[in-house]
Amino acid sequence: MIKVLFFASLREQLEREAVEVDATGLTDITQLRNRLAEQGAVWQSALGNDQLQVALNQQLSSMDAIIRDGDEVAFFPPVTGG
Amino acid sequence: MPLEISISVQAEGFDPGAEYQLLRSENSADGATAMFVGNVRDFSPGATGDHQSVAVLELEHYPGMAESALTDIARQAAARWPLGRVRIIHRYGPLAAGEEIVFVGTTSAHRQAALDACAFIMDFLKSRAPFWKKEIATGAEEGSWVEARSSDADALKKW
Repeated sequence: MIKVLFFASLREQLEREAVEVDATGLTDITQLRNRLAEQGAVWQSALGNDQLQVALNQQLSSMDAIIRDGDEVAFFPPVTGG
Repeated sequence: MPLEISISVQAEGFDPGAEYQLLRSENSADGATAMFVGNVRDFSPGATGDHQSVAVLELEHYPGMAESALTDIARQAAARWPLGRVRIIHRYGPLAAGEEIVFVGTTSAHRQAALDACAFIMDFLKSRAPFWKKEIATGAEEGSWVEARSSDADALKKW
Protein backbone atom coordinates (compact mmCIF):
# COMPACT_ATOMS: atom_id res chain seq x y z
CA MET A 1 0.00 0.00 0.00
CA ILE A 2 0.98 3.62 -0.52
CA LYS A 3 0.04 6.10 2.19
CA VAL A 4 -1.20 9.33 0.63
CA LEU A 5 -1.51 12.52 2.71
CA PHE A 6 -3.26 15.82 1.91
CA PHE A 7 -2.62 19.18 3.52
CA ALA A 8 -4.19 22.63 3.80
CA SER A 9 -6.74 23.59 1.11
CA LEU A 10 -6.36 20.18 -0.54
CA ARG A 11 -7.26 18.39 2.72
CA GLU A 12 -10.33 20.61 3.06
CA GLN A 13 -11.46 20.11 -0.55
CA LEU A 14 -11.13 16.33 -0.28
CA GLU A 15 -12.52 16.26 3.28
CA ARG A 16 -9.82 13.86 4.41
CA GLU A 17 -6.19 13.94 5.48
CA ALA A 18 -5.05 10.53 4.25
CA VAL A 19 -5.92 7.54 2.09
CA GLU A 20 -4.24 4.18 1.43
CA VAL A 21 -3.80 3.18 -2.20
CA ASP A 22 -2.88 -0.25 -3.53
CA ALA A 23 0.52 0.12 -5.20
CA THR A 24 -0.19 -2.56 -7.80
CA GLY A 25 0.31 -1.19 -11.30
CA LEU A 26 1.60 2.20 -10.11
CA THR A 27 5.06 3.21 -11.28
CA ASP A 28 5.30 6.93 -10.63
CA ILE A 29 3.50 9.72 -8.77
CA THR A 30 1.67 10.91 -11.90
CA GLN A 31 -0.01 7.49 -12.14
CA LEU A 32 -0.98 7.66 -8.47
CA ARG A 33 -2.38 11.17 -9.01
CA ASN A 34 -4.37 9.97 -12.04
CA ARG A 35 -5.78 7.00 -10.17
CA LEU A 36 -6.95 9.23 -7.30
CA ALA A 37 -8.44 11.75 -9.75
CA GLU A 38 -10.66 9.01 -11.18
CA GLN A 39 -12.61 8.95 -7.90
CA GLY A 40 -14.84 11.87 -8.89
CA ALA A 41 -15.12 15.51 -9.85
CA VAL A 42 -13.86 16.85 -6.51
CA TRP A 43 -10.75 14.67 -6.73
CA GLN A 44 -10.16 15.64 -10.34
CA SER A 45 -10.44 19.32 -9.54
CA ALA A 46 -8.28 19.21 -6.38
CA LEU A 47 -5.52 17.09 -7.92
CA GLY A 48 -5.70 18.78 -11.33
CA ASN A 49 -4.30 22.06 -9.98
CA ASP A 50 -1.06 22.80 -11.83
CA GLN A 51 0.37 24.44 -8.68
CA LEU A 52 0.14 21.10 -6.84
CA GLN A 53 3.28 20.18 -4.89
CA VAL A 54 4.31 16.68 -3.91
CA ALA A 55 6.57 15.08 -1.31
CA LEU A 56 7.83 11.48 -1.45
CA ASN A 57 8.78 10.00 1.92
CA GLN A 58 8.82 13.51 3.42
CA GLN A 59 11.16 15.02 0.79
CA LEU A 60 9.98 17.52 -1.83
CA SER A 61 9.69 15.56 -5.05
CA SER A 62 8.36 15.71 -8.59
CA MET A 63 5.42 14.04 -10.35
CA ASP A 64 7.72 11.73 -12.34
CA ALA A 65 9.33 10.23 -9.20
CA ILE A 66 9.18 6.43 -8.99
CA ILE A 67 7.06 5.03 -6.16
CA ARG A 68 7.11 1.65 -4.41
CA ASP A 69 4.91 -0.26 -2.00
CA GLY A 70 5.25 1.24 1.49
CA ASP A 71 6.04 4.78 0.31
CA GLU A 72 4.44 7.88 1.80
CA VAL A 73 3.29 10.47 -0.75
CA ALA A 74 1.89 13.87 0.24
CA PHE A 75 0.06 16.34 -2.03
CA PHE A 76 -0.31 19.97 -1.03
CA PRO A 77 -0.60 23.54 -2.35
CA PRO A 78 2.49 25.81 -2.49
CA VAL A 79 3.80 26.35 1.05
CA THR A 80 3.23 29.66 2.86
CA GLY A 81 5.13 29.38 6.16
CA GLY A 82 7.60 31.78 7.72
CA MET B 1 33.81 24.34 17.40
CA PRO B 2 31.71 21.74 15.54
CA LEU B 3 28.55 22.95 13.87
CA GLU B 4 25.47 22.84 16.08
CA ILE B 5 22.04 22.77 14.44
CA SER B 6 18.91 22.95 16.58
CA ILE B 7 15.41 22.75 15.07
CA SER B 8 12.07 23.04 16.85
CA VAL B 9 8.59 22.77 15.36
CA GLN B 10 6.22 23.58 18.17
CA ALA B 11 2.82 24.95 19.14
CA GLU B 12 4.10 26.89 22.14
CA GLY B 13 5.65 30.32 21.97
CA PHE B 14 9.34 31.17 22.37
CA ASP B 15 11.43 33.89 23.93
CA PRO B 16 13.80 35.54 21.42
CA GLY B 17 15.91 36.88 24.28
CA ALA B 18 16.40 33.41 25.73
CA GLU B 19 17.25 32.10 22.24
CA TYR B 20 19.93 34.79 21.91
CA GLN B 21 21.43 33.70 25.24
CA LEU B 22 21.54 30.08 24.01
CA LEU B 23 23.23 31.10 20.75
CA ARG B 24 25.87 33.02 22.72
CA SER B 25 26.40 30.59 25.60
CA GLU B 26 30.00 29.23 25.61
CA ASN B 27 30.42 30.48 22.05
CA SER B 28 33.12 33.15 22.24
CA ALA B 29 34.67 31.87 18.97
CA ASP B 30 31.77 33.41 17.04
CA GLY B 31 31.84 37.19 17.13
CA ALA B 32 28.68 37.59 15.03
CA THR B 33 25.09 36.62 15.77
CA ALA B 34 22.24 37.30 13.31
CA MET B 35 18.61 36.73 14.22
CA PHE B 36 15.28 37.05 12.43
CA VAL B 37 11.87 36.91 14.11
CA GLY B 38 8.63 36.75 12.11
CA ASN B 39 5.39 37.86 13.79
CA VAL B 40 1.72 37.59 12.85
CA ARG B 41 0.54 40.76 11.10
CA ASP B 42 -2.82 42.21 12.06
CA PHE B 43 -3.79 42.88 8.46
CA SER B 44 -3.89 41.08 5.15
CA PRO B 45 -3.61 42.85 1.81
CA GLY B 46 -7.03 42.20 0.22
CA ALA B 47 -7.62 41.40 -3.43
CA THR B 48 -8.95 44.90 -4.04
CA GLY B 49 -5.98 46.55 -2.34
CA ASP B 50 -7.83 47.29 0.89
CA HIS B 51 -6.52 45.89 4.14
CA GLN B 52 -8.54 43.33 6.00
CA SER B 53 -7.86 42.93 9.68
CA VAL B 54 -6.70 39.48 10.74
CA ALA B 55 -7.75 38.16 14.16
CA VAL B 56 -6.19 34.71 14.07
CA LEU B 57 -3.63 32.96 11.90
CA GLU B 58 -3.95 29.19 11.76
CA LEU B 59 -0.72 27.43 10.80
CA GLU B 60 -0.87 23.89 9.47
CA HIS B 61 2.27 21.78 9.06
CA TYR B 62 3.42 18.36 7.88
CA PRO B 63 4.77 16.70 11.03
CA GLY B 64 8.08 14.97 10.41
CA MET B 65 8.73 16.58 7.06
CA ALA B 66 8.65 20.07 8.62
CA GLU B 67 11.55 19.17 10.92
CA SER B 68 13.55 17.41 8.21
CA ALA B 69 13.02 20.24 5.67
CA LEU B 70 14.25 22.84 8.20
CA THR B 71 17.25 20.63 9.07
CA ASP B 72 18.13 20.31 5.35
CA ILE B 73 17.93 24.09 4.90
CA ALA B 74 20.16 24.67 7.95
CA ARG B 75 22.70 22.15 6.58
CA GLN B 76 22.68 23.85 3.17
CA ALA B 77 23.40 27.19 4.86
CA ALA B 78 26.22 25.64 6.90
CA ALA B 79 27.73 24.19 3.71
CA ARG B 80 27.88 27.69 2.18
CA TRP B 81 28.98 29.80 5.14
CA PRO B 82 31.29 29.12 8.11
CA LEU B 83 28.62 28.90 10.82
CA GLY B 84 28.96 27.90 14.46
CA ARG B 85 25.33 27.55 15.43
CA VAL B 86 22.01 27.51 13.61
CA ARG B 87 18.73 27.69 15.51
CA ILE B 88 15.33 27.53 13.76
CA ILE B 89 11.96 27.56 15.51
CA HIS B 90 8.67 27.41 13.61
CA ARG B 91 5.32 27.40 15.36
CA TYR B 92 2.03 25.82 14.28
CA GLY B 93 -1.57 26.02 15.44
CA PRO B 94 -3.68 29.12 16.08
CA LEU B 95 -1.66 32.32 16.55
CA ALA B 96 -2.99 35.77 17.46
CA ALA B 97 -1.87 39.02 15.79
CA GLY B 98 1.52 40.09 17.12
CA GLU B 99 2.62 36.64 18.24
CA GLU B 100 5.95 35.20 17.12
CA ILE B 101 5.74 32.61 14.27
CA VAL B 102 9.32 31.91 13.31
CA PHE B 103 12.85 32.39 14.66
CA VAL B 104 16.12 32.00 12.77
CA GLY B 105 19.43 32.55 14.54
CA THR B 106 22.93 32.05 13.11
CA THR B 107 26.38 32.58 14.60
CA SER B 108 29.70 32.90 12.84
CA ALA B 109 33.14 34.40 13.23
CA HIS B 110 32.10 36.76 10.45
CA ARG B 111 29.25 39.28 10.28
CA GLN B 112 28.45 38.77 6.59
CA ALA B 113 28.28 34.98 6.94
CA ALA B 114 25.84 35.21 9.87
CA LEU B 115 23.63 37.78 8.09
CA ASP B 116 23.63 36.03 4.70
CA ALA B 117 22.97 32.60 6.21
CA CYS B 118 20.05 33.98 8.23
CA ALA B 119 18.48 35.54 5.09
CA PHE B 120 19.17 32.39 3.03
CA ILE B 121 17.45 30.20 5.62
CA MET B 122 14.36 32.45 5.70
CA ASP B 123 14.14 32.55 1.89
CA PHE B 124 14.33 28.76 1.60
CA LEU B 125 12.00 28.19 4.54
CA LYS B 126 9.36 30.33 2.81
CA SER B 127 9.41 28.18 -0.35
CA ARG B 128 10.50 24.73 0.88
CA ALA B 129 9.23 24.09 4.42
CA PRO B 130 5.78 22.44 4.60
CA PHE B 131 3.73 25.05 6.49
CA TRP B 132 0.48 26.65 5.35
CA LYS B 133 -1.19 29.78 6.72
CA LYS B 134 -4.90 30.35 6.99
CA GLU B 135 -6.09 33.82 7.95
CA ILE B 136 -9.27 34.29 9.91
CA ALA B 137 -10.51 37.87 9.63
CA THR B 138 -11.97 39.72 12.60
CA GLY B 139 -15.61 38.71 12.96
CA ALA B 140 -15.39 35.94 10.33
CA GLU B 141 -16.11 32.27 10.97
CA GLU B 142 -14.41 30.86 7.88
CA GLY B 143 -10.76 31.50 7.24
CA SER B 144 -9.01 31.80 3.90
CA TRP B 145 -5.75 30.13 2.88
CA VAL B 146 -2.89 32.49 2.18
CA GLU B 147 -1.76 32.28 -1.47
CA ALA B 148 1.91 31.68 -2.16
CA ARG B 149 3.55 34.76 -3.66
CA SER B 150 5.76 34.52 -6.72
CA SER B 151 8.13 37.01 -5.04
CA ASP B 152 8.96 34.28 -2.50
CA ALA B 153 9.97 31.87 -5.28
CA ASP B 154 11.94 34.68 -6.97
CA ALA B 155 13.81 35.34 -3.71
CA LEU B 156 15.59 31.98 -4.09
CA LYS B 157 17.16 33.02 -7.39
CA LYS B 158 19.55 35.47 -5.72
CA TRP B 159 21.21 32.53 -3.90
